[in-house]
Amino acid sequence: MKRINQDLNQKVRSYVDNLFAGIGESQQLYELKEELSINLKEKIIDYKKAGMNEEEAFKEAVSSLGDLSGLIEDMRQIGQDQTRKSVYSSMTARVSTAGLITGTLVGLFGLLTMAMLYFMGLPLEAVTGPAIFIVVGGAIVAYSLLTRETNKKYAMTKVRAMLYGLSVGLILFSLFTAFTSGFATGEIFIGISSFMVFFLAGFGLLLGLLFTGTDRKKER
Amino acid sequence: MASNISTDLIRGHTDTIILNVLQQGDSYGYQIYKTIIALSGNQYELKEATLYTAFRRLEKEGYIASYWGDETQGGRRKYYRITETGVERYRKNKQDWHFAKNVLNQLIEGGIQNEENKPGS
Repeated sequence: MKRINQDLNQKVRSYVDNLFAGIGESQQLYELKEELSINLKEKIIDYKKAGMNEEEAFKEAVSSLGDLSGLIEDMRQIGQDQTRKSVYSSMTARVSTAGLITGTLVGLFGLLTMAMLYFMGLPLEAVTGPAIFIVVGGAIVAYSLLTRETNKKYAMTKVRAMLYGLSVGLILFSLFTAFTSGFATGEIFIGISSFMVFFLAGFGLLLGLLFTGTDRKKER
Repeated sequence: MASNISTDLIRGHTDTIILNVLQQGDSYGYQIYKTIIALSGNQYELKEATLYTAFRRLEKEGYIASYWGDETQGGRRKYYRITETGVERYRKNKQDWHFAKNVLNQLIEGGIQNEENKPGS
């Protein structure tokens, strides 16, 4: 039963996708497809209850939809407007902008504090302390960049962008621990060993993300 | 289902028909579709394509609002509810309909009784 449902889902989904093939993506199109699909599916299930087989039910439900050309034209219009209009006004874009600014400022703060401590003549292991701000700033910047929708690319999903941010953070953190522990102990091997742990974790995560990525390029 | 019923005449009232369904409770696309068939006594089918177009128009004009249901099995339903202005609109349309119905009835079926209006008298 589950299997059949799965097939029907697929069938309805691809039929609806086909109806609106080649039309620029928009939130409204996405919602309309969602709405059409579920209603179509319920209609098919009703027809099947009335004694039709799945093939007949599907055909009957689809052919009784009526003339969709007006809706399709509507969606095409919206899709075109969407790509033409600036994309920076959405809420996520604003969050992303705020993130970029915050991340950069936090990073800069770390950098400047480090410079200050260095010229104060403090020992090197103390100088590297504020670099933790660069780690945090870098992770925030990475996350904000990826959740930003541009003219050419869609924004990444939040979870994915967060994982990217985490991997960037881990790699930066590995450098941070490497220098701090290296300078503190004066032994390079200690630096490398503490570097290794976080770097490998971060780099592994990054590779995993890179290899499972989907294309976020926008159709033109 | 009788197809010879004058659908054009009815189609002009699509918005009011939908508002009537929704003022009796929130509903979603396919259910509204079925309700309209049932209300007509199986004599009239408002095509889904027409329905969706009307939903979009009504929502844009602020007469209805939509929200997503929380079903998970095979997708979510998009529910519609009527707004305050929608209820207002429905009342107005109903009044207009009563007026038009009476006038049309007189115009189409009424006999001329007043002698003075006959030509040549």
